[in-house]
Amino acid sequence: MRVSTKELYISRMVKVLNYIQANLDKDLTLSELAEQACFSTYHFHRIFSGMLGESVKELVRRLRLERAAIQLQTGALSILQIALQAGYESDMAFSRVFKARTGLLPSKFRKSTHTKYPCLAKASIRYVTNEYITSFEPFIDKELNMNVMIKQVDDIYVAFVSHTGPYQECGKAWDVLCSTLAPEGLLGGNAKMIGVSFDDPDVIAAEKLRYDACISVTRSFKPIEEVGTKTICAGKYAVITHIGPYGKLSQTYRQFFGQWLSQSDYEPANKPCFEIYLNDPESTDPEDLVTDIYIPLKG
Amino acid sequence: MDKIDLFKLHKADYIASKEPILNEITMANYLVINGIGAPGEASFEDAINALYAMAYTIKMTRKKQNKGDYVICKLEARYFCGSEQCLSEIDKTLWHWQLMIRTPSHVEMTDLKQAAKALFEKGKTPSVNKVMMIEHEFGPCIQMLHIGAYEDEYLSIKQMSAFAVENNLSALGEHCEIHISDPRRIPPERLKTILRMTIV
Repeated sequence: MRVSTKELYISRMVKVLNYIQANLDKDLTLSELAEQACFSTYHFHRIFSGMLGESVKELVRRLRLERAAIQLQTGALSILQIALQAGYESDMAFSRVFKARTGLLPSKFRKSTHTKYPCLAKASIRYVTNEYITSFEPFIDKELNMNVMIKQVDDIYVAFVSHTGPYQECGKAWDVLCSTLAPEGLLGGNAKMIGVSFDDPDVIAAEKLRYDACISVTRSFKPIEEVGTKTICAGKYAVITHIGPYGKLSQTYRQFFGQWLSQSDYEPANKPCFEIYLNDPESTDPEDLVTDIYIPLKG
Repeated sequence: MDKIDLFKLHKADYIASKEPILNEITMANYLVINGIGAPGEASFEDAINALYAMAYTIKMTRKKQNKGDYVICKLEARYFCGSEQCLSEIDKTLWHWQLMIRTPSHVEMTDLKQAAKALFEKGKTPSVNKVMMIEHEFGPCIQMLHIGAYEDEYLSIKQMSAFAVENNLSALGEHCEIHISDPRRIPPERLKTILRMTIV
C-alpha cells in the first residue's frame, strides 16, 4: 500500500512538472499547478518543495537557465534575447546569475562545446525538449526520522488575536491575547497555546503572512477588545513534534509534506495547520522549545 | 520599559559548575507553593500547574496594567524534612517541598489575590489559593550542576556532602533543585539540574 501511495504522489507530481516544462514562459500560479494534479491548494507548495527539494520558483528559474544554456550552445539567438526569454530584465543580470551557476559567462559558455550546464537539483528534474517526464525519484532525506501520530481532534473553541506580518513578530499578538485573558483567570490549567498559520512563508511575502494567536477557552468566553473567538475544526490530524527554534518550523513542515506525506496513505485536507506551543519562548532556550504541529488530513 | 530577566540578572546565583562550589544567595522574592509527598505525585503536579498559572496570570495582568514586564524564571524546588536530616531516597512520601519561581519584588500581594480569585472563578485548580509570595535567603550553600536522571541525583548529593565534610561545613539537610531543562523534551540522561545544598 505504501509503495503505491508514493507512486501515486509521484505520478500526480509528474503532471505538474510536465505542465511547468510546457509552460515555462507563463507566470504560473500555485493554484493552477495544484489543479493539474488535484492537490489541495492549501498545502500544494509544501508537498512540491518537499518532494522536489526546491520551490516552484527555484525550479522554474533553474529550468529557464538550463533552457538558456541549450539555446546558447545550439541556437543563434543573441544573449540579450536569451536573457529576456529566461525572465531576466537585462543581459547583465542574466550573465551574473549564469556565471554564478556555471562559472562561465554566457559568451564563454557559448564558445565552449564541451561544457554542460550543471544540474544542481536534489531531485533530478532537468529541462527537456520533445520528451516528457514519466517518473522521478523524490528527494528524500536519508535521516528522515519522523514520528507522526494520527489523531482525531475535537472542535477547539479559542480566543484569538490576528497578526499579519513576519512570523517572528507574532509575539505582539500573543502579548495582547495573554494580557487580555490573564485578568480573566483564563491562563494556566488546560489552556492550550495554539498558533494557526494560514500561509506558507516559502510562497507568501513575509509582510503578508497571516497568523492567529489562540488560547483555548470555554464557550462562556465572550470577545473582549481585540480578542475574538472562533472554533478550530474537529477532524483527523497528523501530529509531529518539532523540537528546536521556531525559525526551523518550516523545515519540519517541508519534510512532513514532501517526504513523509508522499510515502503515507494520507491526503492533506484543504484547511490550515496549527501548532501547539508547549513551553515559554521567553525563558526557554530556542533549542529546547517543543512544538506539536497538527496537519489536517482528509477522511 | 525593559523586560526584567532575574535569571540573567543574577547569573552568579545560578552558576552551574560540574564540581561542587561554595556560593551565597542573598534575599530574593519568590512565588511559592508548599506540599508534602514524593516529587512527581499528583499533588506535586497539581502544585506545579497552580504555581505556573499564578505566575503567568500575575505577569500578564501587570503587563496589561502597564506595570512592567518580566521573564518567568526557572522552576526551583526546595526539599526538606519536618524534623531531622532525613531526605531518604527510599521513602520520599515524607518529603516536604516548596516549589518556587523567582519573581521581581515589585509584585504585590494584591496581584496574587486578584490572580487567585480570577483563576479559581474560572474553575482552575483550587491550589492557586495556596500560592504565596515570600522572601527567602538561601545564604551560604554548596552548589553544583547535576546532569542526568532525577533518580541519580543522590550521586551528586553524595559528592556535595563529601565536599562539605572536606571543608568542615555542615549541611542543613535540605536541598534545592533548579530545573534548567524541560523533562518533557530532554532524555533523562541529559537533564540539567542545578543542585543547591544549604549549609550552616
